[in-house]
Amino acid sequence: MSPSVRLQELIRVIRSARTQCEERGVIQRECAAIREQFRQNDNGGRSHNLAKLLYVHMLGYPAHFGQMECVRLIASPRYSEKRIGYLGAMMLLDEKQDASLLITNSIKNDLSHSSQYVQSLALCTLACMGSAEMCRDLAPEIERLLKASNSYIKKKATLCAVHIIRKVPELGEMFTPSAHSLLSEKNHGVLHGAVVLITELCERNTQTLDNFRKAVPELVQIMKGLVMSGYSPEHNVAGISDPFLQVRILRLLRILGRNNDRASDAMNDLLAQVATNTDSTKTAGSAVLYETVLTVMDIRSESGLRVLAVNILGRFLLNNDRNIRYISMTSLLKIVQTDHNAVQRHRGTIVDCLKDQDASVQRRALELSLALVSSVNIRSLMKELLLFLSTCPPELRAHAASGIFIAAEKYAPSQRWHIDTILHVLTTAGSDVRDETVPNLIQLITSASELHCYTVHKLYRALVTDISQQPLVQVACWCIGEYGDLLLKGDCEETEPVQVTEDDVLDALETVLQSHMSSPATRAFALTATMKLSTRITENVDRIRSIVSIYGSCIDVELQQRAVEYNALFRKYDHMRAAVLERMPVIDKGQTNGEMSANNIKDLEQTDVKIPEVPLPSNQLCLEVCDLLDLLGGSEEPLQPSQAPPSSVPTPSSTGTGQDLLDLLGGVCPAPVPVVTGVTVYEKNGLTVTLQCDQRTETSVTVSLLASNSTDSDITSFSLQAAVPKSVQLQMKAPSGDVVPAHGAGQVTQTVILMNPNKVNLKMRVRVSYSSQGSFCQDTAQIDSFPTTAWS
Amino acid sequence: MMRFLLLFSRQGKLRLQKWFTPLPERERKKIVRDMTTLVLARKPRTCNFLHWKDLKIVYKRYASLYFCCALEEQENELLALEILHRYVELLDKYFGNVCELDIIFNFEKAYFILDEFLMGGEVQETSKQSIANSIEASDMLQETMEEYMSKPAF
Repeated sequence: MSPSVRLQELIRVIRSARTQCEERGVIQRECAAIREQFRQNDNGGRSHNLAKLLYVHMLGYPAHFGQMECVRLIASPRYSEKRIGYLGAMMLLDEKQDASLLITNSIKNDLSHSSQYVQSLALCTLACMGSAEMCRDLAPEIERLLKASNSYIKKKATLCAVHIIRKVPELGEMFTPSAHSLLSEKNHGVLHGAVVLITELCERNTQTLDNFRKAVPELVQIMKGLVMSGYSPEHNVAGISDPFLQVRILRLLRILGRNNDRASDAMNDLLAQVATNTDSTKTAGSAVLYETVLTVMDIRSESGLRVLAVNILGRFLLNNDRNIRYISMTSLLKIVQTDHNAVQRHRGTIVDCLKDQDASVQRRALELSLALVSSVNIRSLMKELLLFLSTCPPELRAHAASGIFIAAEKYAPSQRWHIDTILHVLTTAGSDVRDETVPNLIQLITSASELHCYTVHKLYRALVTDISQQPLVQVACWCIGEYGDLLLKGDCEETEPVQVTEDDVLDALETVLQSHMSSPATRAFALTATMKLSTRITENVDRIRSIVSIYGSCIDVELQQRAVEYNALFRKYDHMRAAVLERMPVIDKGQTNGEMSANNIKDLEQTDVKIPEVPLPSNQLCLEVCDLLDLLGGSEEPLQPSQAPPSSVPTPSSTGTGQDLLDLLGGVCPAPVPVVTGVTVYEKNGLTVTLQCDQRTETSVTVSLLASNSTDSDITSFSLQAAVPKSVQLQMKAPSGDVVPAHGAGQVTQTVILMNPNKVNLKMRVRVSYSSQGSFCQDTAQIDSFPTTAWS
Repeated sequence: MMRFLLLFSRQGKLRLQKWFTPLPERERKKIVRDMTTLVLARKPRTCNFLHWKDLKIVYKRYASLYFCCALEEQENELLALEILHRYVELLDKYFGNVCELDIIFNFEKAYFILDEFLMGGEVQETSKQSIANSIEASDMLQETMEEYMSKPAF
């Protein structure tokens, strides 16, 4: 192929290549020729070659060898070469390449070129890929061009200045004086650039912002001129005069009027005028109205204006155009917290949007619906949300499910309704719910004691229909194990009675145990439930015995361990079986596992054998604690690593044999009743950590650190680290979890034991680290004095 | 500000890319791949806005080309639709009934027009006529130089 083939010819040849391989071949040959040409410094064809290279680059092939050629072409005196050279620089060079520094000098020269088109090339390139270094060097030039040039160059220089400020914010002061004077220009291009420049300056520096507030009347004047002016063919878009400029001015007014009464007053009339006069049949008008609404909601506007704005959004909601519905919901989401009642009026339309085919619109409608839930509309709204959950796209299911749970928890009109709702969610979107749902639901069920019969019937029916949704199966197994006797009794006031025999129940549980769809945790639940039924049924105890013994040789260690223990319970400790498998007491939400379990089994203490303290299992295993047997089985589990530097998690000395049942059963140290009073150690961003002293002896102190969260969103990745003076030994137990739920719904607890044999003055430094509302925080707090216990 | 502007065909072939922030080559390729996948997967009568990472993506289909741009959080999406439309109008005026082939074979001219309309991610000039005049004048400047040197441009 001839090396000086024209660009268009090359493009044609590449496009006619029939396979990827052929195309690659053509391009490689051409690139080789181009490289050769670059080396030869051939004067005539340089711009062809770079253009060809840029085309090849756009197809995705490497073109870095063209960088130096760009530099050379930029320095050429010919306009056509400069033009393609600058284009190449914008495409191939960025601030990370060394070659970019080499063009600084050329740009500097071109900025003072006699032809304005050459100047414009330089300005454009600087604004596109200028690094901080280049910006610093050339800023004085740009400032000069801002002041003394024609409007063509002025508008470009202004945007170049915007880029410079973005790269090097300190240079903002250089452009501030000229920025204000630019507002008196008539040329719309320059005016637009000036508004962008002032916006950028104000966003970065509050002093400049205060300064520019005096420009508000001027801006209002310009805006009025645009709105009231007659038809101007040059700037007209669908009946709106220069919507680009209008939107920009409105945005600047928003920034200037925020939190400032005087400025907001000055623009009230204008905003009302724009809101009423703008024709919104086409997108241009809607864009201006949208910006106006955003501005009205953000500044200190009077209430009449706010109502007008919300009404505009309401009108947008009914618009046929999906885009407009989408953005109206986005804006409503922003104001739903402050103007809740106004948005409630449009609830019907929003709920209709849940049924839209467009996933973006559905997402917005979902967020807005969740924000609109209140105690008044909870029943009707929940119906819609549950309907939505069954038909929504998979990417929205998790969000919808967790939103429904939060709403149900806040506003549930009755416990039965709450349980029904959660069950509904579990059956429709069971695989998308969070892990904490299972223990939360179980806690809820235990607390609704009059509904046990109803619940277990419903769950049994759900289990028999479908065993693929793990959270549902887990809850169902637990309930059947716990309330199996109510299920077998058959009569229940709330639902239709169904005759369930013991065999049916055991069949169901066995299906879960054997199904390949069940996760290991689910199978563990099912095994435990089967075991519990041995005290609640009369005839098929042998069947249970055989099931349990089969699993004694199961590959899954957890199942095997449980099965072996239950076997032992059948054989050696049969006399204890009834007591051990008794009905669980009501679980208190938010208490730590260790304390709760200790309180509950105090009465079952049989012997005085001294046993090491049972370490606190992690939040995910907290369910295990609810089931007494599981505690005995679960305490052997490897514990969550605790956070303190000199930490040593005491592992129980025993392993899973029958011997331990007795030890651990008798030996769980009754944790003392937690002291109500605590010292606040850390309080920031809605997160409060308090210290409670649990036990104090001559040489050791046991304290609990409790963390609670009063913000609207959960705090995640929460962890505590502690350090103490040298002679003191620190032992941190595993925390109860690492998510602190929002609105103080629960607490995270961590027990710390301080061994102080030398009886020095106890001090502790605690480091708190967590993620809240998207940002990661880390803080330290010092505890200088430990509170005494209430009853010492 | 606009972070980037991409033009690609229905088969996902890139026809124009303008980046307003510095990004390494690998990053750019990945973004192009992500955008083409996201936008081409959209059904016909859905809205023109998407959410991707922390940016708002606005796209519009004109014949066989998708015009796709990414905006920062505080930008006005409806105005972005107007910006894309204005760019298409400019191309149309310049090429006379523009089609995808025009943009393929004259990509450098498409870039020159874009550089007269947008700069640093912001709108530079709001008057169609003014932009058309500048492009014409620049082309004249190029042609007269070429005639003088008696060699074709590319």
